[in-house]
Amino acid sequence: MSDTHQGEFRIGSESDIVAARRLIRNAATSLGFGITDVTRIVTAASELTRNIYQYAGSGLMRWHCLTEGVEVGLELTFEDSGPGIPDIVKAMESGFSTGKGFGLGLPGAKRLMDEMTIQSEVGKGTKVQTRKWLRR
Amino acid sequence: MAIENISVLKLRDILLITVPPDPDDRTISALQDQVLEAMERYESRGLVLDISTVQTLDSFFARTIAETVQMVALMGGRTVLAGMRASVAVTATQLGLTMGKALTALDVDRALDLLKTALPRGSNL
Repeated sequence: MSDTHQGEFRIGSESDIVAARRLIRNAATSLGFGITDVTRIVTAASELTRNIYQYAGSGLMRWHCLTEGVEVGLELTFEDSGPGIPDIVKAMESGFSTGKGFGLGLPGAKRLMDEMTIQSEVGKGTKVQTRKWLRR
Repeated sequence: MAIENISVLKLRDILLITVPPDPDDRTISALQDQVLEAMERYESRGLVLDISTVQTLDSFFARTIAETVQMVALMGGRTVLAGMRASVAVTATQLGLTMGKALTALDVDRALDLLKTALPRGSNL
């Protein structure tokens, strides 16, 4: 497996959002995702990276290729040691935001991807794991 | 990281701005400042934002564009978003983005035609 298909990237500044998008664009493109799915995945990555930068200040993005039988997919994990999300149900509602955005980050990313799970503990941090499967 | 260069082109009564393909947040914020400054300096009536090379339109980008459209409207100008790629349109819609009161066009040519009909008589286009 080439390096493009898996890796990790530390998020710590605003310009890292652009860098994260480029890494995920390369990974998704080289796995064979079409332009629309690549755009969906990159946009979701952009939202989740920005969440880390905005709420936790820093964190880690990891990505790797998934294979399940003949199915191929891409899994992205975003982990931080930030303030955590007190109410995940509320955070998943469109239009709810404690920040300066539209409140579309988490629910929007979920709509763009096939699977998404969020684990969060107040004062400890947040882990968001999301997957997109390649349609053949 | 250096802010990507944004060119503001004044064409008669309108401004034409080409948005870079993958701008960071600072570049997007700088774009808004430059638009508003140029609107004032040139007393423009319309703005065409060429987004044909834009690959990723996330919620921060969309929010700043929607804000800019509203600010330009307060200054008496109309904005046309030109050239959104199909993949970006699909993604933006699923993400739940709305672009406020922006007019839209397939490309810059059509955006100019649209402004001709949207702007008051006597505008120089």
